[in-house]
Parts: sequence; structure tokens; C-alpha cells
Amino acid sequence: MKYLFIDSATANLVVAIIDNGKLIYFYNNNDNHDISTKMMPVLSLAFNKTSLKVNDIDKIFVVVGPGSFTGIRVGLTVAKTIAYALNIPIVPISSLEVMASGNAGTALINARRGYVFAGTYDSELNVLKADSYMPMNHDLNKPYISYDDFDFECIKPDIDILKVVKKHENDLAVNPHALKPKYLKMTEAEENFLKHDRESN
Amino acid sequence: MYILAIETSCDETSASIIKDGCEEISSVILSQMNTHANYGGVVPEIASRMHIENITMVIDEALKKAKMKMEDIDAFAVTYGPGLIGSLLVGLMAAKTLSFIYQKPLIPVHHIAGHIYANNLVKRLEFPLIALVVSGGHTELIYMKEDYSFEKLGGTLDDAVGEAYDKVARVINVPYPGGPLVDKLAFDGQDTYDLPLPLNDNSYNFSFSGLKSAVINLAHNERQRGNEIIKENMAASFQNRVVEILVKKTMKALKDYDVKNLIVAGGVAANKGLRTVLKEACEKADVNLIVPEMKYCTDNAAMIGAAAYYAYKRGDIADLNLNAKAVDSLR
Repeated sequence: MKYLFIDSATANLVVAIIDNGKLIYFYNNNDNHDISTKMMPVLSLAFNKTSLKVNDIDKIFVVVGPGSFTGIRVGLTVAKTIAYALNIPIVPISSLEVMASGNAGTALINARRGYVFAGTYDSELNVLKADSYMPMNHDLNKPYISYDDFDFECIKPDIDILKVVKKHENDLAVNPHALKPKYLKMTEAEENFLKHDRESN
Repeated sequence: MYILAIETSCDETSASIIKDGCEEISSVILSQMNTHANYGGVVPEIASRMHIENITMVIDEALKKAKMKMEDIDAFAVTYGPGLIGSLLVGLMAAKTLSFIYQKPLIPVHHIAGHIYANNLVKRLEFPLIALVVSGGHTELIYMKEDYSFEKLGGTLDDAVGEAYDKVARVINVPYPGGPLVDKLAFDGQDTYDLPLPLNDNSYNFSFSGLKSAVINLAHNERQRGNEIIKENMAASFQNRVVEILVKKTMKALKDYDVKNLIVAGGVAANKGLRTVLKEACEKADVNLIVPEMKYCTDNAAMIGAAAYYAYKRGDIADLNLNAKAVDSLR
């Protein structure tokens, strides 16, 4: 079985190809700033280096968030389009789970203004505290794992894609048309709209 | 040559299949207008979110309507800009992915080139021509010597004309999107308000922020005095100034460049006031006027597919690192 893994939600762009439980291609670089230009060349290189065609892929694992809204959409649009066009099963993955795949603990993404996206996982990647958007507090399970710089101690993620894929290998595939990002946060316009709505009722 | 085109530059998710730049095989447009109406205008992040939820469905629907398979497509085209960056990126990534999977050319199309080539779906363009592009994001006069050659003669220095319409609509309490309603109100009104003719000079440029401010100030002053604004009359006065300056500068360009073909493109091309006055002026000057069908005035992928054919002939083929551009001039 050949799997394609894509994660463009966090500071690191990750593209991996797994063949029968072995990582045969792994791109993991801290260069997600111009993700929209990099994504396709990186993907193209992945297939060139492994002499595979997109058609050879049996399942796609794609990170759907939380993280950078634009980053999520870039990777997810690519994955959705491949899954739809070639009828390949697709499975959604959490960015925080990927970050916690190397060390158990709480994965954090800085969501600014004192807020974080946080999710706590054990060493088997079982969810101890579900991914959420919340004000940062220090009662979460340590260690804290993050690509971002905080004013408290964090370890850098040391991701284990094989572990993530193994954990979700038998998850039910979703309809690519229905696959949505998991932002965990409304847009500001929606928040204000709802606030206004509540106040006027 | 069959081109599958994708357009997601603002608040419409659209895919079309176009044959040889002039024949529309199928089109699907999913408008987000009702959602954005809640916020009084397009909210970029909401637009991006809706595009990604719908993009593959819209593409699939376009293929199904055409009774075609992805393998039948010869090239993929996409609007790369200008527009809302987050929105553009969804269409751009989908098009790049399809081009990569099927190893077919990726054709980058400028949104304004699309608006101009919408007319090619109705009748083959004749050159040389002048294009007046008027929409919520653009107000430009463009000279075209031949296919896919664009010389910008002038454009707005501040607000786009459609933007000015929407803002004036808000001042006189007309709901979003106000443009079409202001046009409608203008027909029932009289030109009674003293508004300036904006940027009435010899250039091909436009400016609508001064006119918009004049409407705001006038409405404010009238309300201070306890007078109600007569919506119909304000709409008529505003529309008359806008139409007068657009027509004046367009006719000047036609004369200066000795051109007998005029194309109007973009959402404001649907404006009846503009259409009526331009028609009269063109008849008088013996100019061949082409206005697109209403369905091609708003954003759609059909126009992108039409333009793409000529872009491809010119050699415009993009690599997989093609990026979206929020702002980009037409070349």
C-alpha cells in the first residue's frame, strides 16, 4: 500500500510518501512562508524521486488543521483535488497530533492575542485533551511542543509520520467533496455578527 | 482544444469548459453573495472558506454537465489575479494540481483579460478595439491592437466604479450589493442634486472617491437640516455623473486611437444607465458597441476559459510554482 501525506498547516511543510510501512520520501522543512509556490514543486519532486505516479497512491492523509488558515487551505485543496480526480480514499489528520507524534504532551500553535490552538496526546497518540482554541493557561500536560516561540519552555516537534499514518490507517475515508478544514475558530466577521445578534436579542 | 477553467478571485466559485476560446460547453457558478450580504460586503476569510468547501464539487459539476471526463481536457486555466489572495489561492492550487496529475498545460489568466474575452463567447472580437472594464474592483480603459495584446490607457486613481456604487447605496440605505438597485432607483428619479463631474480632465483616468464623498456630505447636510434624502433623485444624480464621465473618456479614447470597436466588460456593464448612454454615443460616432450578455457580466470561469485559449496561443504557460497576485497589471 502506498500512502501520500501532506501537512501545510503549521510552520513546517511536510510531504511524505509511505510504501508498505516504509518512509520512502520525506520532506520536512521550516519553509512554509510561501507555501502556495512551494507546495506543487515539492510534491512533484516527491513523485520524481520515488518514480511513482499520483495514480499509484492508495490513500491520502491530509492535515486539516488547526493552524494557518491559508496554509491549511493550500494543502487541503491539493489533497482534495487529487482524491476527487483520481478517486483515492482520503483521511483527515490533526496538525496538533502530528506535532505530538514524536513526544507525548501538549502541542501548541500560537493563535495570537494570548490564545493558542492546543491538543494533548499520549505516546500512542490517544487524545487526552481534544484540539481546541483557548486562552493559554499553564495547567495543560507538559511537555509543551511547538514550532512557535513562547515565553515559556517548549520542545520542538520531532514528528513521526509513520506513527501517525499507522494510527489512522484504518480510519474511514471521507468524501473528498465534503472534506473541510478544521479551523477551530470562526472568522472575526462571524464572531462580531453573532455577538451583535446576541446583544440585540 | 478543450480548456477547463477555474475562477475564484472574489465571491464566486466557478468552473467552465470552453472549446477553442469561443464556445461554452458547460459552466457552473456558485455565488456566495447571500452570505456576504449579511456583512454588507465580501468578507475575504469567509470567501476563502466557502471556496475550499465547494471547489471540487463545482469542477465535477462542470465536467458532468459537459458529459466529459478529466482525460478529455487539453489544458487547465485559472485566474491568478488580481483579486482576494486567499480566494485566488483555492482555485490556483486546484488548477495546478489538475495540471500536475494529468500533465497538461497550466494557463494563467488575468481577471480583466477574462472580462474582456467574455465578449468572445458572444461574437468573435474584432480589432483594434477599446475595452471599458467596469466592476466592483476595476475601472480601466484598455486598447487592444490584436488578440491578447493589452495597452492600458488609464484607470481609476482611487475607488473602482462598482465600489463607489456600493458605498453610495449604503449612504442612501439601499442593501448590499447596492449597484444594481441604485441603477434601478435612478430610472425613477430626477437629477436634482448638485454633484461634481469627477476628474473631468483630458486624461483617461477616473476618480470616484470625490464624487462618493460629495454624496456622503450632501446626504449628511440634508439630514442635519431635517430634510429627507430623495433616494431616487440621489441615485439619478450620482449615476448621471458616473455615466457621463465614463462615456466621455471612452469616446475620447475611441476618437484618439481611431478605433471603431468598443467592448464593455465587468459587473457594471450590466448597468442600464451606462448601456443606454453608451449605445447612443456609439451610434452617433459610428462605433460598433459590444456589451456582454448579463450572465457574462459577473465573475465566471467561462470568460477565463475564453481568454485562456488566446493566452495559450501567445505562449502563456505557467510552471507549478505559479503564485496568486492580489494586484497585477494586465500585460
